[in-house]
Amino acid sequence: MKYVLLGAAMAAGIATTAPAQDITLGRFFGACEDAGTDTTTSTGEACIIQSIINAADAELDGINITTLPTDWGNYYDQVKAAYAGGTPPDVHVMHRHRVPEFAGLGAIAEISGDLAAAGIDPSDWSPAALDAVSFKGGIYGVPMDFHANLWHVNMDLMAQAGLVADGKPVLPTSPQELLAHAQQFKDATGQDYLAADFAQFPLGVRTVLALLWQQDANIFTEDGTATINTPEAQNAVTAITQLFDAKLANPQLNYADSQQAFLNGEAGILVNGTWVVDFYTAEAAKEEVGLNTYYVADFPTLFAKGATWADSHMWAIPASLKGEQRAAALKVMAFINDHNIDWARTGHMSVRTSVVESAAYQGLPHRDEYTGTAAIARDTPPSERYGAIQDVLNRELQAIWLTDKPVSDALADAEIEVQDLLDR
Amino acid sequence: MAPRSRLSQTQAAWLLLAPFLATYALFLVYPFCRGIWISLHDWNLLAVAFNPDAKEFVGLRNYERVMWGKNITWSLFNAPLLQGLGLLALVLSALLHRLGRLSRLNAIVFGVVSLLLVFFPGFYPDEGGRWYDRRFWPTVANTLVFVAFTVPGVTISALLLAAALNRETRAMGILRTLFFLSQVLSVTVVTLIWQIMFSPRQGLIANITKTFGGTPINWLTDQQFAMAAIVIATIWWSIGIAMILFLAGLQDISKDIYEAAALDNARGWKAFWYITLPNLTRTISVVVILQIILHFQVFGQSHLMTQGGPNDSTQVLVRYIYQTGFRDSELGRASAMAVFLFLIMGSFSIIQFIIGRERD
Repeated sequence: MKYVLLGAAMAAGIATTAPAQDITLGRFFGACEDAGTDTTTSTGEACIIQSIINAADAELDGINITTLPTDWGNYYDQVKAAYAGGTPPDVHVMHRHRVPEFAGLGAIAEISGDLAAAGIDPSDWSPAALDAVSFKGGIYGVPMDFHANLWHVNMDLMAQAGLVADGKPVLPTSPQELLAHAQQFKDATGQDYLAADFAQFPLGVRTVLALLWQQDANIFTEDGTATINTPEAQNAVTAITQLFDAKLANPQLNYADSQQAFLNGEAGILVNGTWVVDFYTAEAAKEEVGLNTYYVADFPTLFAKGATWADSHMWAIPASLKGEQRAAALKVMAFINDHNIDWARTGHMSVRTSVVESAAYQGLPHRDEYTGTAAIARDTPPSERYGAIQDVLNRELQAIWLTDKPVSDALADAEIEVQDLLDR
Repeated sequence: MAPRSRLSQTQAAWLLLAPFLATYALFLVYPFCRGIWISLHDWNLLAVAFNPDAKEFVGLRNYERVMWGKNITWSLFNAPLLQGLGLLALVLSALLHRLGRLSRLNAIVFGVVSLLLVFFPGFYPDEGGRWYDRRFWPTVANTLVFVAFTVPGVTISALLLAAALNRETRAMGILRTLFFLSQVLSVTVVTLIWQIMFSPRQGLIANITKTFGGTPINWLTDQQFAMAAIVIATIWWSIGIAMILFLAGLQDISKDIYEAAALDNARGWKAFWYITLPNLTRTISVVVILQIILHFQVFGQSHLMTQGGPNDSTQVLVRYIYQTGFRDSELGRASAMAVFLFLIMGSFSIIQFIIGRERD
């Protein structure tokens, strides 16, 4: 018996001293110091994703994962610099809108041939999810979510303003109604009807884009012609600026301040993404927080058809990754893919049919309130210059609501600059 | 008889200089030359990394695309205020030189600077024309505004602080340390502190404003205040080193002069004006030039506090270079802008060199 035990101990020793694969992982979502390895109880994007990564590090045999320190605002600059320097992270998160740039240059790996071996079943991904990670017929990543702009609603204030029916908020169906509701809201509550970060983070851009798509228009065509200085864009912008002009919303709040205004009960509606649903749910449950009755609504349709800004998070590996390192990186992606239900707890929409159909998913807080969002999710046509184009729009829209630049001048300037970017 | 040295003095000098020269060449001269080389190419950061042949030699086209435009003309009346100021300064420097109040070299330096002020703002796109890059010159102007407010701000406040703290007491020692403390912080910490200070909801400034019944200002998202906010944070950050330089300068001034002046009834403000300042001119010019060179490279404050906004009003040159190089992957264009920035800073270094030499 003693020898058996000794032998087992030696075997275990040999097994554990087998060379471990060190995987570096790059991600945004922010830092979470004590995420632990319990993927089922963490809250908020940063802690949920870090708990999944920690669990992968603990549970995947022979794989050590190091999460690289990266920063939200400069994430793509860091990743690009790492690729250019020949030291990209072994696995990294990215948005679908970056696929044309990274896959087009051959930076990220085409992995359709690796999925089965890694235990990833792409047939479980929804068609839109598969589309998100596809480029010129190849698969360039593992999708993790759909995220989109929602209207986060303070139901107590809305009820006070008489804008609740059947337990649901009454949301506008036209720009005129938007103004009327906002005025009615202000008169009843003394608070701003709507808040969002119109000042720094491009939430204002995403709102205007949604209103543009709702008129079946877009900022540029697939063949690369900028179409921004149009009556549709004027309509979309003035739908928002009418609120600022009537002092029913404040364009000067940034992300933190607009969120704080909503949580303090100083705004009826906050335009923000799916990523904060669990956070606001948790905040609303706290005694000291001004927001008490929280509701999540699909982005309302103010024009002809429904549309809201949306994107996807996905995981990719560098094309240069080969052999066991590549296999290990794929295992990490498979682990994250397996924990899609945990990630969906943030508020994001799942990419896996099996998860979407599960009772656990359907039972997530507020999930049934924004089921329409998946059908109206939109984004601009693919472009390698997505980041720069967003920046132009953000700048010119800010110029309209923060510096009183005439709408037509700003749209004309934005059109010239976006065309310049598309022509480069 | 002393043993003969096997190396001549020149050889020994070269030998001792070699480690420095090698490092200097490797880490400064080579990257600089390569920067110029890249600026002559259409060079995509990622594309070239994966395929070294993906670059294309385009000569000076990047410079043209960044700095020039279609149908650009020149007029003396395009920017009457700036150009008028330049003309006035030109006349003034000639006049002061004539009256013997300005040396020839200084007159030339001021004359050249004034001439540039008349020359550069005179360009504009004529009918149907446009700048190829509509953001470049406004960005340069923002950087100049930042430097124009920060440098005097730092210099004057550091000088006043140094004069006030130039005493050998324990309290002054502690205060000197306190005022220097901000200097050791990194830009991320400084901008975080000031972002909280400027926050219209929880910021100290907003709370004070509210206490007195005012409406808090959205410092970082209001076009009128965003640049001021960055300037204030920068002055707070960089006051320490300037203060130390001034303290060193102050301690070089002989006590005898002050005693002699005190006999003539020159104390306090009078002593500061007639003794301290004239004796500090050299330190002041060093501080000013160093600050100019330093603050032309401003990046973190604008990047982290305002993201260049609102509406590009705090977009500065280095941040634009960074965005062009990394966000847009256009290394060629970014390098062309960097060469432009080098020329600006290089010219200020030359001015410093000239002023320094003249006094010797």
